[in-house]
Amino acid sequence: MADKQNPETGGQATVTLTIDGLTVTVPRGYTVLEAARSIGINIPTFCWHPKLKPVGACRICYVEIEKFPKLQVSCATVAMDGMVVHTNTDQVKNGRRAVLEFILLNHPLDCPTCDKGGECDLQNLTFAHGLDDSRFAFQKYRFVDDDMTTTFDDKRIGPEIILNRNRCILCYKCVRANKEAFGEYDLGAYERGNITEINAAPGRQVANPFSGNLVEICPVGALTNTDWRYKIRVWLTKTTPSICNFSSSGTNILFYKEDHKNKIYRVTSRRNDDIDDGWLADITRYSYQVITSDERLIKPLIKKEGKQVPATWEEALEVIKKRLNEIKDKKGGVCIGGLASPSLDNASLYSFAKFLRRTFNSNKLDYRQDYRMLPKDTANNYSILASQPFKIAGIDDSDVIVTFATDLLREHQNEYLRVRKAFNFKKARIFVANPYAVKTADVAELEMVYKVGTDEIFINAVCLAALEENLVACPDRADLKKKIKPSSLKDAAEQCGVAPETIKIMARALAEGKKVTFIAGELLTRCRDREIIASALCNLNRLFGLNRKGQIAVLARYANSMGAVKLGISPEPVPALKKELEKIWSGLPDTEAYNTDTMLVHMKKEEINGFIIMGANPVMLYPDREFVKESLEKLDFLVVCDLYETETTALADVVLPLAGWAEYAGDYINLEGCRQHAEQALKPRFEAYPGYEILEMIADKFEKKLFSSTEERESEIDRLLKVDTTLPWPDGFVEVKTAEIEIEKDYPLALFLCDDPHHCGHLTEKANSLVNFCGEAYIEMAEEQARAYNLNEGDSVRLESPIGKIIVPLKISEHLDNQVVLVPRNFTSHPVTSLLMRKRRIDWVRISKVAE
Amino acid sequence: MILNDEAIAKIKERVGLYPQSKSAILPALTIAYHQVGYLNDKVYKDIADIIKVPCVEIAEAATFYTMFPKEPVGKYLIQVCHNISCALLGADSLISYLEQKLEIKKGETTRDNLFTLVTVECLGSCATAPMMQINQDYYENLTREKVDKIIEELRAKA
Ligand code: SF4
Ligand code: FES
Repeated sequence: MADKQNPETGGQATVTLTIDGLTVTVPRGYTVLEAARSIGINIPTFCWHPKLKPVGACRICYVEIEKFPKLQVSCATVAMDGMVVHTNTDQVKNGRRAVLEFILLNHPLDCPTCDKGGECDLQNLTFAHGLDDSRFAFQKYRFVDDDMTTTFDDKRIGPEIILNRNRCILCYKCVRANKEAFGEYDLGAYERGNITEINAAPGRQVANPFSGNLVEICPVGALTNTDWRYKIRVWLTKTTPSICNFSSSGTNILFYKEDHKNKIYRVTSRRNDDIDDGWLADITRYSYQVITSDERLIKPLIKKEGKQVPATWEEALEVIKKRLNEIKDKKGGVCIGGLASPSLDNASLYSFAKFLRRTFNSNKLDYRQDYRMLPKDTANNYSILASQPFKIAGIDDSDVIVTFATDLLREHQNEYLRVRKAFNFKKARIFVANPYAVKTADVAELEMVYKVGTDEIFINAVCLAALEENLVACPDRADLKKKIKPSSLKDAAEQCGVAPETIKIMARALAEGKKVTFIAGELLTRCRDREIIASALCNLNRLFGLNRKGQIAVLARYANSMGAVKLGISPEPVPALKKELEKIWSGLPDTEAYNTDTMLVHMKKEEINGFIIMGANPVMLYPDREFVKESLEKLDFLVVCDLYETETTALADVVLPLAGWAEYAGDYINLEGCRQHAEQALKPRFEAYPGYEILEMIADKFEKKLFSSTEERESEIDRLLKVDTTLPWPDGFVEVKTAEIEIEKDYPLALFLCDDPHHCGHLTEKANSLVNFCGEAYIEMAEEQARAYNLNEGDSVRLESPIGKIIVPLKISEHLDNQVVLVPRNFTSHPVTSLLMRKRRIDWVRISKVAE
Repeated sequence: MILNDEAIAKIKERVGLYPQSKSAILPALTIAYHQVGYLNDKVYKDIADIIKVPCVEIAEAATFYTMFPKEPVGKYLIQVCHNISCALLGADSLISYLEQKLEIKKGETTRDNLFTLVTVECLGSCATAPMMQINQDYYENLTREKVDKIIEELRAKA
């Protein structure tokens, strides 16, 4: 609510007014409605939404204001000093009643068959304020869709949305949210008068990555979700507060479930203004179907004579004990390693690390299943950058926002909306820099598409612009020039392919900005040369003092990536954490530490022989699929726990069914470092168990209990989470090395791996609703590029790298530029990681048309 | 593209006149309507491409204005006002008279493609009710005799 501040009103920061005899002081710019609500006076609304600009479309929020000749809409009237407002006089009541009568003129009153019944604003307000009869004795206006034969107007306007125009009260919330908050133009309001209708845009479907919100904010049953329709009445469900498992912000959600059926029916938001503003990405809304799908693993599987056959838990645990002990006895525990998913809860992750370190004295463990060539320890600039504090809500009041090496819409949808909000409400200046064009640029003052592989040079160029233009007063700035190459803006700009003038504008904005938010993302994290780019960013930070007047961070990608860092699930935890672990466990293994990549290399050399994977699918996600497969096949013994049979479980000697996040209570640390609790909504389905229980069961077999009690586990976790894991910035400027970029002859295009905006990682393919939005991989490229290859939308394209090829359908992009193609990594049917080489900075590919 | 080069050039010229290209939506629709004779989704898409505004915004504006026909119409588009002032002075009977005379129902076009008859909301000429608009011209203080004459003249002209 404090979002709105009208700079023009100026003067005092607050106003004082009287509402229903109570005096209230509120910030200037508050509406009468907001002022009333701030002291607990409820005024009914339909079209008002806390995160949208008011329109005054429905008129239900009428109030009487002294000296105003007529009733006023409180949602669009700005509170002023000395106003005397009445919210409950006869005139107001009459006004409300009249408005309701009008709204109901053409409303079908089909509440008994409407899914909104029981949580419908119109139903509730009519009950509270309306007449019990209508004076409208004529035929109601009815929309009947062309291919409908009944009076129902059920029209599918998107993969998951059904529209009934007769129920719509034209509050325009859906259209406004879509355009204003999400920047999407696939829904509109057409015609006028009583035939006004909401509908999809000409020739389009409402299929944007936030479309589920439209249903949630519709005050009536005009928009309904296909997952919830006709399944259950809302009062028969119970809700469980939880946290999204597919976003690193930890979006707050509610599961709607029926206990005796152990079933979830839908997800809605549990608005948390610090985190999500009440908007859910579709991934968050529909990913519960990953848990409720019937394809889940039912029982443990044991490999016998080369085939995986169902077994009991006891049998499976015995095999694990026997085989791991054999390896431990023959080669030592250090030959056993593990990989856990960063989407697991704190308890599972911590148990995982403790089990490997304590039982096998092994430091071979990691949580990063999809980033090539990771640093082993944290003594590097990348880790420094990734450890910096960040506040999602801090985006709101930033006056300059830069997104660098990230496609927010695909990686951080929550933050994507925040950036849009800062632009809409605060006119923040947005700068977008990426090697390919992204949708965030819709709201950007400047979009800078730099040449593939020149990320660090671009950042250097921004620094050089500041030096050459004398924009900053950093004392040791002269030192910087010696640390970077090339050392003039002109040369750097030319190398990265962005005009020097453009770079100067951005540098000036960084220098002048009062509060700057600088966001870097996946492109940097996944890149082999992340350390070089991070060094450039450390210099940028120092030069402009960004962390002092705002925030700069690499955003974590998964639901509990931060938890994994803070609980030490990496080969070399940060020093402070190591100390605490040593204290808690009275000593830490001092054996050699390997990260995901080195573990795979050593598997191949048969120096790691036993391996445990929990919730991760490296075969699908780690670069160079063949390499990962060969490595895992070399193992003597592999245990994989997952919700489903995957490419990775296929290689396992023992597969254990893992419970999903809604099936146990757990804590997660979001990208801000904020710890959030998700309650248990369901009993684990089939024979699945949560990760921490599985590890406890295995540890029991080794007669080395992990924890004497749950309390002990939680207190150890509490102790670790208290440790400050922020790493100090380097003193002075650091040298930015020159990266060597391989050019692959005959492979002219750069391939970037991405997530589809409706998918994340390897599990979302199991959620039917998400598949309805996007069910298979595609290759996305610029129209011009496609034309050059004589390709049309939907054509089959052969995509080849020096080590592999796949065939995918073409999708023409409105945003991309030439030389870059995108392929989502979320689909089993299109194993795009088989094209990637392990040690490359850029994945060069070529394409050709597949003959019909 | 449905729009011809002349229309495209005119629309582009209009875009330049406004600080926001969105403001050019109505002029663009008018130009397109004059060329094509009616508007539909394809025309909206063309305009969207030319003035770089999302297509849905064009469709929203176009459908709001009943003055733009959304389907092919006859050479003469007869728009009869049926709002309060005209209704009080006999618009309804005038409309049935036209239906009878042209042998079509309201919303339809005569077989010879000469006339399309529609009713519209107030055209701002209440003082001269009942009235109708044919293409760009107003015909006011109507009576059956006047209507006969107008139709005859138009037939003759065609
Ligand atoms: S569909 Fe729902 S949200 Fe959209 S305008 Fe109608 S009532 Fe409002
Ligand atoms: S809530 Fe104020 S006009 Fe709709």
